[in-house]
Amino acid sequence: MAGHIIAFEGIDGSGKSSQAKLLKDWLEARVDSYLTEWNSSEWIHEVIKEAKKKSLLTPLTFSLIHATDFADRYERLILPMFLSGFTVVSDRYIYTAYARDTVRGVNLNWVKRLYSFAKKPDVTFFIRVSPEIALKRLTGSRRGIKPQEAGSDVFPELTPEDGFLKYQGMVLEVYDKFAKEEEFVIIDGNRSPREIQMEIRNTVSELLWKER
Amino acid sequence: MEGKIIALEGSEGSGRTIHANALKTFLEEEGYGVVTFGLGLSKLMGEPISKKKRDIVFQRRTLFLSYVTDLADQLENVIKPMVKSGFIALADGYTSTLMAWGLARGLEESWMRDTLNVLPKPYLSLGLVSNSVEIIRRILRKKGNLDPLSSGIDICINEDLFSSYIQYLDTFQENLRRLLQDGILIDTGRTYEVVKDEIAKIVGERIEET
Repeated sequence: MAGHIIAFEGIDGSGKSSQAKLLKDWLEARVDSYLTEWNSSEWIHEVIKEAKKKSLLTPLTFSLIHATDFADRYERLILPMFLSGFTVVSDRYIYTAYARDTVRGVNLNWVKRLYSFAKKPDVTFFIRVSPEIALKRLTGSRRGIKPQEAGSDVFPELTPEDGFLKYQGMVLEVYDKFAKEEEFVIIDGNRSPREIQMEIRNTVSELLWKER
Repeated sequence: MEGKIIALEGSEGSGRTIHANALKTFLEEEGYGVVTFGLGLSKLMGEPISKKKRDIVFQRRTLFLSYVTDLADQLENVIKPMVKSGFIALADGYTSTLMAWGLARGLEESWMRDTLNVLPKPYLSLGLVSNSVEIIRRILRKKGNLDPLSSGIDICINEDLFSSYIQYLDTFQENLRRLLQDGILIDTGRTYEVVKDEIAKIVGERIEET
């Protein structure tokens, strides 16, 4: 029997990665589960890192190389796991590409077609916070803002803080546009991590155990 | 005159590289600036693909997208600006080669077409085809053996490499012929000189049209 795909989307600093991880840990004791992250194919990841360092990417190659990374994880991990009954938790999914690529000026319909081989998630949790809150969280932690989070390739002239607000704001706008069309479960990311996780577990429980 | 992309399409051993070189010489003698590019030659993806290819032989979509990224990188960073300034770009393997490869492996034609839509259409596509046994002889002469990986072993595992390769080349070339049915097909089974002259004649005429 086929399994499930549970996707997490949200801007950087929204807390979605922590939520995905918490969910995966909770699921692990109950079902076969797997956590996959955006941009983490073992071989493409390195190529992307190098290319970003040297600013080799154009909007089009940025889009294509991330699609290659996704396809690698999809063909090697996500699809076989899904088909054999695993619950796959995906920290970012195709909507991340929709948002990031269109912000860089790539045609949305083309991006949708590019990713059309990917199965729609059973549920997509959209952890929604404002860019201002996300920025406060990231600068408050020791980690700081990474150049790609500030959209440094899109707004090279802005300071990291201004770049972050502008870039993440644009990404958020695209997410908001898709929230209805793609039936995202919108989660208010301003609450405590524990509260958020309980809401997510409720929805996931219903999906995994009440549908039988 | 604004520059153009001329694509030489075909399987390994179809004569792509040798005729790309011959055509480059011809066009340069005619006074054109020529730049060459092709599958697996980008700064971004060339090396990673050749290193990783063996491990992802069953991940067709990943490999397909790797090559699209590879072509896009060359086009965006090198070819487009040069073509804009009047150069003729010769592709040693372009979108039809990729599609014939993907079709032989069951990737959806419409998905590949839509994905490749983002790359510039070639001004002229030349499909290089030949007898499959002849192609294998060329590969053996050049490389000394048949590489199971490029023999399409992932789609037809037969008792021996030769039959596998023939079956694969037949499928590949059948696809290529269909993809380029309204275009130009060139039988490279004839002598090098004859083929070279024919390509030069076709390209020469087409370029003068504009």
